[in-house]
Amino acid sequence: MMPLRKVLLICGAVLAVICCALLPLVVGPYGVGIALNVLMWIALAESWAMFSGLSGYISLGHAVFYGVGAYVTVLLWQLVPLWVAIPLSGFGAGLLALVLGWPCLRVRGPYFVILTLGVSEFVKYIVIGSEAALGRNGRLLIGTPSLVVLFEAMLLVAIVSMVALYVVRSSRLGAGLLAIREDEVAAGAVGVNATAVKLLTFTLSALVPGVVGGLMILRSTYFEPLQAFNPTTSFTIVTIAILGGSDDVPGPLLGAVLLVLLSELLWARAPEVYMIILGVLLVAFVLFVPEGLLGRVQRLASPAKP
Amino acid sequence: MDLSVIFSAQLLASVLVLASLYALVAIGLNLVYGTMRLLNVAHGELVMLGGYVAYWAFAQWAISPLLAALVAMVIAAAVGALLYIAIIRRLFRSPSLLARIESNSLLVFFGISIIIQNVTSLAFTADSRGYSYLDDVIEIGGARIAANRLATLAVAGLASLACALFFRYARSGMAMRAIIQQRDAAALVGIDVDRINVQVFALGFALAALAGALISMSQQISPFMGFPFTVSGFVIIILGGLGNLTGSIFGSLILAAVEVYGVTLISPSFRSILVYGVFIAALLLRPQGLLGRSIRAR
Amino acid sequence: MKTVLTLAAMLVAAGVTQATAQEPVKIGYAISKTGQFAPAAHTQIQTYELWQDQVAAGGGIDVGGTKRPVKFITYDDQSDFSKAPQIYEKLITDDKVDLLLAPWGTPFHFAIAGILEKYQFPVVGNSAASVAIRDIKPGNIWFPTSCIPDRMGAELAKFLVQQKVKTAAVTTLQLPFSLEVKKFLMPALESAGIKVVVNDEYAPDVKDLTATLTKIKQAAPDAVISLSYPSDSILYMKGARELDINAPFQLLLVGPAEYFFSKMFGPNLDGVVTMGHWSPHEAKWPKAKPFYDAYVKKYNEPPDYLDSALAWMSIEILEQAVKTAGLDKAKIRQAISSETFDTIDGPVKFKGVENIVTPTMFLQFQKGEAQIVWPASEATASVEPKPAWTK
Repeated sequence: MMPLRKVLLICGAVLAVICCALLPLVVGPYGVGIALNVLMWIALAESWAMFSGLSGYISLGHAVFYGVGAYVTVLLWQLVPLWVAIPLSGFGAGLLALVLGWPCLRVRGPYFVILTLGVSEFVKYIVIGSEAALGRNGRLLIGTPSLVVLFEAMLLVAIVSMVALYVVRSSRLGAGLLAIREDEVAAGAVGVNATAVKLLTFTLSALVPGVVGGLMILRSTYFEPLQAFNPTTSFTIVTIAILGGSDDVPGPLLGAVLLVLLSELLWARAPEVYMIILGVLLVAFVLFVPEGLLGRVQRLASPAKP
Repeated sequence: MDLSVIFSAQLLASVLVLASLYALVAIGLNLVYGTMRLLNVAHGELVMLGGYVAYWAFAQWAISPLLAALVAMVIAAAVGALLYIAIIRRLFRSPSLLARIESNSLLVFFGISIIIQNVTSLAFTADSRGYSYLDDVIEIGGARIAANRLATLAVAGLASLACALFFRYARSGMAMRAIIQQRDAAALVGIDVDRINVQVFALGFALAALAGALISMSQQISPFMGFPFTVSGFVIIILGGLGNLTGSIFGSLILAAVEVYGVTLISPSFRSILVYGVFIAALLLRPQGLLGRSIRAR
Repeated sequence: MKTVLTLAAMLVAAGVTQATAQEPVKIGYAISKTGQFAPAAHTQIQTYELWQDQVAAGGGIDVGGTKRPVKFITYDDQSDFSKAPQIYEKLITDDKVDLLLAPWGTPFHFAIAGILEKYQFPVVGNSAASVAIRDIKPGNIWFPTSCIPDRMGAELAKFLVQQKVKTAAVTTLQLPFSLEVKKFLMPALESAGIKVVVNDEYAPDVKDLTATLTKIKQAAPDAVISLSYPSDSILYMKGARELDINAPFQLLLVGPAEYFFSKMFGPNLDGVVTMGHWSPHEAKWPKAKPFYDAYVKKYNEPPDYLDSALAWMSIEILEQAVKTAGLDKAKIRQAISSETFDTIDGPVKFKGVENIVTPTMFLQFQKGEAQIVWPASEATASVEPKPAWTK
């Protein structure tokens, strides 16, 4: 018999999901658009946290998986049905992660961070070059699915990403990752196959961003490599994880909501001010709230802990 | 296409000018990393600020950018010192923050870069700005080069040389090198690490601003121009070796050569792919840099 | 007596127009006020704001015969064209605007095409050019520019032939528009028998064009076609001067039309050819010079010969359509699709989404002024070979 708390939690979660799914009935298209953005960032940040949050290997190039997902969808546009193309986008991103991870994960610490940045840019320029070679100059997608359809799809994806993080975190894989974060050498000494653990998680963490990239390109209907592989996406993901907390499932969720909320309040009136505030928040959080909102809330909720 | 163009003085001049600018950016970046293991992703923003100081000095008061560069350096040094004292030092002082210092500093610098970019954009609008200074074309040894590019090479080259001498002979410079090599030991022998750290930030930022002021003579400036310089800076310090200061100068030459010559040999369309490809290859194959020791990567 | 009656009539009329003029017309747009495209979108923003001033000073716009004040609702798309559709959707459904103005740039126009189609909201585009516009279903967005890449490629080849050009160097920035122009230019050059001696492409963040320019200097072609955007156009200008590239025909795709270019290069800009289809010196278009003067008066600098002109044209078309059709979307659509409009660029008429009246032209700077030099039917001056670079 499951503890009552857990049952309530699950019921609450299911209820929340149902409410979200019914959202389009209640708010207009603009509201759905905002909700879509929140879900997108949740999905991206949760997947990022699965790898970077748990292992401590900060990936500053996760936008590359997003971009690759978008590119796969664009390439397969009208060649295969969308319900095939989107998952293939995810797999494409995962494949890239596997190929890239094999050499890249042998590098540690700050080297890894800059490497991910470099790799993201590298792939970006390859795509720019390949598009130019194919004679393609921006791709316009006409006849994409409606906003509501994309919203429901993204809801599914966000849920998958949260469940995935939860499952990984509470599994042996997650334990291995946390051990690596603490001390990789020691982890190896107690039998954690660091390479396998990192590679597997890295690959898994790329699947969702790939799918998200595919869905979002359907939303914007116009593919252009500079935008799809924008490093700002990578940075925003990291920011969200820091603001919300990258250790557990609710963290990125909080961070995404906070970010989109802030964005909505400010972008219309003062976009540069929004960015400045974001920068200030980032710095302030790192210095004063390093455990993220989630961590702070947890600490407040259980003050008895030492 | 006639490949003899590779050997032209023209291209060589280009490589040297580009390398000299890169060197300034890279030395500053490497200093901060070497002494404190911090990845300053806001470095490019200092280049941008240097450019703006020079631009405004010229546009408003017709002050030569070479003079304005000095002002830019002072301002940047102050910004650097302030940044260290007010923010970065906290990362070191708190044990919990210190444990994840590399990622924390990364995020702090990233936040700062956003702030700088957008404050500049708010204050000066996002328009690109440029001006003409020392525009005359000079012929030297078969190459035609604009006087301002020649001036860039001269000033940047001298500054790099001055840095090299500083690290070799000046007390502060030697202290910095000591910290880079062995931080704890340096503290043990009585080096005031904190004070040197302030100087590191000041110097590193000043060099970046100098580069920016020089760049503004021959390129447009805009609030968001900094990021590519940050990236190039990282490529170079990896090539030359993290923490290896003279390595930065060689790394700059290598990157500039790859960019200019590589592009001539293959095709300009591959320039960025080439640059990042070299970068990735260097990181994977020889992460200690092409010139050897410093910090272990694995 | 007559005076009293006139006065009375005026008062009554004023009262009547006051009563119906209560409701301001809401006009909205989103444009790149910040971010990487902000410098490029700048001149379009200034043009829109010039219009906002004029509208306020004039008491409003003419809606189906009645003058009504205007309320402008503007947003910043932060140079992110995935934001544009969301913002336009907000303008339509949330802010409930009556009319919309276009954003800046081809990708942004494409990005909002779907939304406009969904809500059946007609918008006159401006700063967009691509053959892909013909894929868009007509009825909700129109493109007044004549700088469509396939037409440009063909016309440029004809222009070069007329200039007795035998060899050409083509350099291209790897961005959609420049690549598209190249796609149509190369076959046109081949059919015209012009030999391409240098053919280089480069990625967007290039900082140095020396390698390519050295090749060009060596090859010494009759024409240099630099399919570049402002940043690399600047690199070209500086580098070409440094290396003393003196081909008599030098074209820079995007850049020279903006004022800062003239300011930066002064007399060295003379002789440079660029894309565009408007000049204030065209006597056939009486509205051109007044627009130019008004812009200069407000901003102390000339308008962008491409983007500002197009932005103003789109405003003129909208104004004229609303004057006859009022605010009813179906009627506006009908008006834009069928009428011929009188703009600062001469007559404009749409077939489908494309403007079929305005010919594809090229501009050349002469003594600091932009003149139309091709085709002969529209030329305000004859083309001159590029003078030597100043030392």
